[in-house]
Amino acid sequence: MSVETASLGMLVATIVVAVLRATTPILFAALGGLISDLTGSINVALEGLMLIAAFFGVIAAVHATSWFPGLPGWVYPWIGCIAAIAAALLATLLLAFFHLELGADLIVAGIAINILAAGLTVFLLASIVGDKGSTAGLHSPALPSIRIPGVDQFPILDMLLNGEGGRGHHVLIYLAFAAAPAGAFLLARTRYGMWMRAVGENPQAAAVAGIPVKRVRYAALLLSGLLAALGGVYLSMGYLTLFQADMTAGRGFLALAAIFLGARRPIGTLAAATLFGASSVLATRLGAIDIPTQVVYMIPPLFTLCALAFVGRRRGSLQRAAPF
Amino acid sequence: MSAAILDTPLATPRAAPVRLHTAFAVIAALAVGFAITALVSDAPVRAFLALITGALPDIRWSDAQGFEVRRLVRFGSVVEDAITLTFLGLAIAIPFRARQFSLGADGQMFLAALASAGVSLYMPGPWFVVLPLAFTAAIATGFVWGLVPGLLKARYSANEIVTTLMLNVIAIQFYRLLISEHLRDPNAGFLVTPVFPSAALLPGLMPHTNVSAMLFVVPFVVAAGWAFLMRTTLGYEIRTVGQAAPFARQVGMPVTRAVVLSMAVGGAFAALAGVHIGNALLKRLPVDLSPGLGFEGLVVALLARNDPKAVPLAAFLYAYLRTGAQAMERTTDVSREVVLVIQAFIILFVVSQRLLPAGWPRALLRRRGNTALKLEQA
Repeated sequence: MSVETASLGMLVATIVVAVLRATTPILFAALGGLISDLTGSINVALEGLMLIAAFFGVIAAVHATSWFPGLPGWVYPWIGCIAAIAAALLATLLLAFFHLELGADLIVAGIAINILAAGLTVFLLASIVGDKGSTAGLHSPALPSIRIPGVDQFPILDMLLNGEGGRGHHVLIYLAFAAAPAGAFLLARTRYGMWMRAVGENPQAAAVAGIPVKRVRYAALLLSGLLAALGGVYLSMGYLTLFQADMTAGRGFLALAAIFLGARRPIGTLAAATLFGASSVLATRLGAIDIPTQVVYMIPPLFTLCALAFVGRRRGSLQRAAPF
Repeated sequence: MSAAILDTPLATPRAAPVRLHTAFAVIAALAVGFAITALVSDAPVRAFLALITGALPDIRWSDAQGFEVRRLVRFGSVVEDAITLTFLGLAIAIPFRARQFSLGADGQMFLAALASAGVSLYMPGPWFVVLPLAFTAAIATGFVWGLVPGLLKARYSANEIVTTLMLNVIAIQFYRLLISEHLRDPNAGFLVTPVFPSAALLPGLMPHTNVSAMLFVVPFVVAAGWAFLMRTTLGYEIRTVGQAAPFARQVGMPVTRAVVLSMAVGGAFAALAGVHIGNALLKRLPVDLSPGLGFEGLVVALLARNDPKAVPLAAFLYAYLRTGAQAMERTTDVSREVVLVIQAFIILFVVSQRLLPAGWPRALLRRRGNTALKLEQA
């Protein structure tokens, strides 16, 4: 292998790793959104749920050291992770309750949850940390990475399997890419998955067939909240190790776009999420060249619009548009 | 099942309970806000009093001076804010009537402000030439930028929530690009356009505030929004599509056109908010004009139940809360973001259809209706 191919291979491997990292949060949220969407309850609140999880993960992990002193160090980030999931599930429950019990429109209520998340995280950030921007002053931990040993001799393989510096990939990256087939299996092969699709397809018929429609919808929304929470935890305890105000930066909405782009199938959603991850990597790479940063920031949304238009071109007109 | 919330046409007998519902929603949301404040604040009651009364002008009586009105600056900022929010509320309410969740008001507003700034800075002439041109440029920009998500939905069935949010990002970045690269004032220490010439500014009405002649424009704009929805064919089509799209399609209405134009007309109203911010409030455009006002338009539209006539009142109420929150942040340990929490709960409570227990006036009225019916039959 010549030096040039080797360095090219290294570059490709570096980019692949960067794409994996950028895809993970979008993929988590998109899978959650896909499951609730197929159950007939579109979850517009993914963005806010990620933000809530990202915030409470950092805060709980930092404060756990004083709440439960004396535990081994690796436990604290996991306490943060559990707290993050609990907080996001609570917010999802609020959404589900208002929609399913009080008859609130799901889309508007979802937007309300996003506003709640944006406000509550900054409000608590200011109250707890005394800074409206980020938790940079706190020393917050990350969840562990998994290092695959024995590939040190092959630099490109080492880069692919263990990332930059050979530290290994974050545990949630593995979980995200495992969640995709798991979600597909749940929807296609299990009884509960069939119930979910039945409820999404025709709730009246499902109810007549004896499926507990409301319970299935609660379950689907909560599952989407759980997955979005994992995406948020990855952002603040993996991708970065701090919380910033509005750190999700539209990833929850990209996840929604990924569902539509992926034609509401797990494989398609995975591909679309990867595409969006790649577009953000492309944007940061271009940021190194001399173009205004504003143009760089325009690339991912422009890319999303083009992708949506391209897929929609084949799917037809307004008559068969999304059911809302 | 959700169609009924977003349209307003309320028959008179139901109007009273709906108003009650809205009032209940606001009070309940304030209660939630108070509960959250109490969790983190040392003096939650004082903070909340500041939130509720902070925007009020201070009227004092003394023997020497007679009546004295103070803190009008704060009240002025309520009025300024209410004007902007009225336009944004209309911008969200009109697509809502066609059941389009267009969240693009932010981007439309930014680009319209930019268009108006371009005219204001480069167009010489007296005010009666510059101002109409600035308004026209802004409205056209808002209309076109609102047309984009409409066409994307009509042609490519692209979900409008996603497209409008993406278009917002593009519009805001374009705004920043243009101001920092082309429109910036080289003499200013930060990235901002030069101050607009006085011919392009809306004349002020209240000293020490930025309340401007735009206040007189508001009633006409609201009337135009109302007349558009209630008195034009397109408005009728938009309302029908929103209430029963299959029906509209069946009777041969141009459903796609109504959907597309509802978003574009919404954009034209958002544009007025951009003009107001540039040509009346700030008198120049800074690069870091903060995005997110469009979402405040959402809460205004929902509070008004998408009825243009009710939008100014809802906008005033919400502007009052926002200004109160700033007063609260200055005087207590509670940060103003608590208003976003209250905003979220106002939305949640307003759109809840089964919020009030069944025994409340709505059921009461229905029962009365039933008895009347029975009497008739007997």
